[in-house]
Amino acid sequence: MNGINVDINHLKKGEVNLGTSIMAVKFDGGVILGADSRTTTGAYIANRVTDKLTQVHGTVWCCRSGSAADTQAVADIVKYHLELYEAQHGAPPTTKIAASLFQELCYNNKDALTAGIICAGYDDKEKGAIYSIPIGGSIHKQEYAIAGSGSTFIYGYCNKNFKSNMTRDETVEFIKTSLSQAIKWDGSSGGVIRMVVLTASGVERLVFYPEDYVNA
Amino acid sequence: MSNPASINGGSAVAMVGKDCVAIACDLRLGNQSLGVANNFEKVFQFGHVFLGLTGLATDVITLNETFRFKTNLYKMREERDIEPETFANLVSTSLYEKRFGPYFVGPIVAGINSKTNQPFICSFDSIGCIDYSKDFAVVGTASDQLYGMCEGLYEPNLSPDDLFETISQALLNANDRDALSGWGAAVYIITKDKISKRYLKSRQD
Repeated sequence: MNGINVDINHLKKGEVNLGTSIMAVKFDGGVILGADSRTTTGAYIANRVTDKLTQVHGTVWCCRSGSAADTQAVADIVKYHLELYEAQHGAPPTTKIAASLFQELCYNNKDALTAGIICAGYDDKEKGAIYSIPIGGSIHKQEYAIAGSGSTFIYGYCNKNFKSNMTRDETVEFIKTSLSQAIKWDGSSGGVIRMVVLTASGVERLVFYPEDYVNA
Repeated sequence: MSNPASINGGSAVAMVGKDCVAIACDLRLGNQSLGVANNFEKVFQFGHVFLGLTGLATDVITLNETFRFKTNLYKMREERDIEPETFANLVSTSLYEKRFGPYFVGPIVAGINSKTNQPFICSFDSIGCIDYSKDFAVVGTASDQLYGMCEGLYEPNLSPDDLFETISQALLNANDRDALSGWGAAVYIITKDKISKRYLKSRQD
């Protein structure tokens, strides 16, 4: 066969899919991560209240999409390495280091993994930072990132509506409206919208239910 | 791009009550995970007989037109509307004709016989095998979920208002666990003298 061939039917038999809408957005105080809460096995909604926003260290978190098992395993390994890093260096790791660890795992195991990860965090050096690590294991530093099956429907909307240095509330509304559309059009996304706000003050979790976001 | 029955998505259910029947469907039409339409009704009326059709949307549309054609000619010849039991056999033979190149549909028939006043429901497979039922009938991508909901919620001899509540909850909650069904719902409550149609407010994810 010539050229690059990607197998999109990548899940093993019985594997659950985080068919998903995830995003992370940088704002004046740090970053906000957002995700839907649907996990599917084929067309069956296995979990309608999934938490796809996972902490790997303090104020370094990630959004997971692809295979639920693969992304949980990778995040657990990164979490282990970051905990060890802080013990050995006496200082918390930066978002860049976490993203680099994600990349190493995703690239070197690319044949075995189906993982699309957005690594985002707040550290004192870089303030807010977002690194997108799609399938294949490349790394992309961005002001905002969208990923998952539902993201395809909001490329245009996000491109037009993203602004640098928004306020916290503006960013929450931007993510809410964006994910609301992704959830509407993508059958593999749904449930509640979860967000995690990462700033100098620490971590704040938010949840938005359908009544709140359906008309956002 | 494999199973024609789950490309467009959709589900339907029918239930028997006291001197009444109910039939309901979701309103979604999609292209795999992409939702395309939220007004694609899957219940059609031929006189006092109701047909729910899930599965491949092109076949849903084609069969609706086919049965409209056949029942119109039936009415002209017989000078009366077709009864539910007769229509069920019409569906069965029409589907079996295509035994080796079938329509990819999941049909349900519901209605009240105008002569005997007996409520009637049944479902079929895609090649016309009739499955008679005295309680409920389920089809579509959320059929597994509908089986569970109906088995749990159903009781015999429900009044029209109670039957409405029961069939609505069965459909809504089954659809909420299926990625390919939902985006609204339509519910028909059929009695001897009256037919009511209601749209349900449902989750839009």
